[in-house]
Amino acid sequence: MSAPELYTNGNPLLKYMRQDKLPHFFCPGCGCGQVVSAFLRAVEALGLDLGSMVGIGGVGCTARIPVYINMDCLHGVHGRTLAWATGIKLHKPDTKVVVFAGDGDALSIGGNHFIHAARRNLDVTFVVVNNFNFAMTGGQVAPMTPDGSVTMTTPYGSSEPPFDMCKLAVTAGATYVARTLTSNPAQMTTFLKNALNHKGFSVVEILSQCPTHFGRYALGSGSPKGLVEWIKSHTVPASAAEKMSPEETAGKYLVGEFVNVEKPVFRGSTVYTPSTCGCGGKEAK
Amino acid sequence: MNTKQTSIRFCGFGGQGIILSSVILGEAAVTKEGIYAAQSQSYGSEARGGQCQSEVVLSKNPIGTPTNEQNDILVAMFQAAYMSHKHELKKGGVLFVDSGLVPDLGDVDPSVTVWKVPATETAIRLGSKMAGNMVMLGFIQEKTGLVSRDSLLAAIRESVKEKYVEMNTAAFEEGIRMAKEDTGA
Amino acid sequence: MGLEDRVLTGVHFMQGNYAAVEGAIAAGCDFFAGYPITPANEVSEGMARRLPAVGGVFFQGEDELCSIYAISAASLAGAKAMTATASAGYDYMQEGIEYAVAVEAPIVVVDVMRCRGENFATQSDIMQVRWAAAGDHEMIVLAPSTVQETFDFTVRAFNLAEEYRTPVVVVSEMSLALMRERLEIPAASAIPVVNRKRTAKSPADYLPFHADSEYGVPDFAELGTGYRVIHSINPHDERGDIEWEPHAFDRLYKRITGKVRENRTKISTVQRFGLDDADIALVAFGSEVRPALDAMEMAREKGIRAGVMKLDAPWPFPEEAIRDLASNVGAVVTVEMNMGKYAGEVERAVCGKCRTARATKNLGTPHTPDEILSVIEEVRA
Repeated sequence: MSAPELYTNGNPLLKYMRQDKLPHFFCPGCGCGQVVSAFLRAVEALGLDLGSMVGIGGVGCTARIPVYINMDCLHGVHGRTLAWATGIKLHKPDTKVVVFAGDGDALSIGGNHFIHAARRNLDVTFVVVNNFNFAMTGGQVAPMTPDGSVTMTTPYGSSEPPFDMCKLAVTAGATYVARTLTSNPAQMTTFLKNALNHKGFSVVEILSQCPTHFGRYALGSGSPKGLVEWIKSHTVPASAAEKMSPEETAGKYLVGEFVNVEKPVFRGSTVYTPSTCGCGGKEAK
Repeated sequence: MNTKQTSIRFCGFGGQGIILSSVILGEAAVTKEGIYAAQSQSYGSEARGGQCQSEVVLSKNPIGTPTNEQNDILVAMFQAAYMSHKHELKKGGVLFVDSGLVPDLGDVDPSVTVWKVPATETAIRLGSKMAGNMVMLGFIQEKTGLVSRDSLLAAIRESVKEKYVEMNTAAFEEGIRMAKEDTGA
Repeated sequence: MGLEDRVLTGVHFMQGNYAAVEGAIAAGCDFFAGYPITPANEVSEGMARRLPAVGGVFFQGEDELCSIYAISAASLAGAKAMTATASAGYDYMQEGIEYAVAVEAPIVVVDVMRCRGENFATQSDIMQVRWAAAGDHEMIVLAPSTVQETFDFTVRAFNLAEEYRTPVVVVSEMSLALMRERLEIPAASAIPVVNRKRTAKSPADYLPFHADSEYGVPDFAELGTGYRVIHSINPHDERGDIEWEPHAFDRLYKRITGKVRENRTKISTVQRFGLDDADIALVAFGSEVRPALDAMEMAREKGIRAGVMKLDAPWPFPEEAIRDLASNVGAVVTVEMNMGKYAGEVERAVCGKCRTARATKNLGTPHTPDEILSVIEEVRA
């Protein structure tokens, strides 16, 4: 069976993809494929028209996700995804924009744009696939690498505490914030649906496996299954965590929806009030 | 080199309206009288209180180099600024100083015409020390006729906030009156 | 006339930075993002006041990077977009320029050149605005020398950006940006406005990075209108697909550099003063043109046949104009407000056909006519 036949063999989501781009470039066992799948299920469930949407990816493995999805796409600059999204949303507010970013893209080089997009409540869905390291460049330490992890640039273990990006997003002002994991596709799809439906800055952090790098270096095994199990064992439902002691939740990722509120979305400066402007059409003196 | 143009340098300290004076002069020249003007400025890093200066070139023709090392007219509103810029006045030029704030003229070339104007003092008497620049502008208008009284009045009205128009035009008119009385004797 | 008027027709006494604002709005600019930096703040402030009044959007980014990417993306979404910055801010914007070049997003960047960290005039960015960006690219850079030209060239910058689908930079210096002088804004009907060519093809037939000729410009399709285009900085083929085949890469970069380079005589206009009989030619752009013209007159009063070639657009380099000049004069003097950057390019084009000299300084102000005259006299001696 040829590759195109293999990939068109009855998958109902293929119609949403750029099929000529397949096979994709993700490593065997990578979580990005599961994210694509969950996202497209959400798109299908909501009946969204991808032709009117813009997908944005910066640089990294996750950043390739929108390249495989059949919609307008901006791609290829590290960390500037939300800057692009801001330009699109301010000029064409009705265009639905979704960003896919890895943990490095989103929180390291793109960290400043992230907190400001959250503060402004930019009407964009920000999907962060947290695979705990810079994967495309070969497995270096990232802002959400667990403390003490061995990576290519922390051969003796990292000495940096990681961000809790959901807490950061909530504090900075995001109006929908949730965390899920690739081994829970139903929840992933639900949260992505909620995020896409949300008017305002919606953030979904997806804990995902990178067997090629994080698995091999930090956990000593390249087994995708082992890594998925490791992630599962390090998560606790946020609802359950409320009844647990700090000792029981230490080192665990809370999973669930943390905030879901409505607030005015960012429009830039568009309001003109002649009464407050005394310059008569000229420069200020 | 260019005899068809006149350059005026205003200097003082930030907050005296030095730059505003020069902008009003240029505005009057360009938009009211249809001639050319170029205004350039510099100021210290402090927004208020530091020395500042502004140069206006007026010309019937398009202006080449918009700044000059030597000016036809120097207007000094503060002693330290005067000391910084006095050497930039041409021989045979005209010097206007705020007599209260530039008490010491030092050596002035005999070819220079000097007008000592109690501008800030007069403005305080009229109710606002902020209007010293307008007293000076009125005085300069009367003595030089660079641009007309009406053009400057129109430019003042357009350039200052509405609530300050009355004070500024009154100060300007007082400057003109003082200049008419001051025969230089 | 009020803020609601797109074109403020009439005679004004206006600052250079505000003339850039009015030029942009007259050209149809409806999106601006910028980050505070002296001495370019008046452009942002003017835009903040004017754009909402004419139905546009103003946005202050959290940094220069946000601003440059926001305008590129807004442009892909159909906006006529601009940012303004000053030298150090342009440093940050370089990577965004690279993106706009690669995806052929029309944008306009105003760069008010200043000395590093200090607010003095300079032309030290003249190489930065040409070369700063990874990847192969040609830049269009316009250099006004008066407030009137700041308006006119900003209009032209938008028109060139739209015509060639590429970033266009307007460089000014603090000496011009903060100077006020006479500006006559013509009637709206007398201001030429160019809009990018939009595709008439259906999404099925549309090739986003295909041009009809080797150095052509692709037709535009707006984001979110069903064309499903990948706008990637990565090497891409005519379909926009990320492509690692070296020939595709080569073809792309040949076209996006060629579309500017091959049109350089149209883009990089020059103005000639006193060159018909000149023995010594001054080459200058921006604020330096004015003292150069005065120095020319002073030299002529002394019996030296001097002339001036004013470069409206230092980039793309006006190769033919400089070569032609070198064949007709005894010496070419490059006048620039830095330690000698553009002079190297001029001298390369002169290629030994006549003598060359430089009038260079970086003292925070343009040359005085006397300073340029002394270089003319040295060259003549």
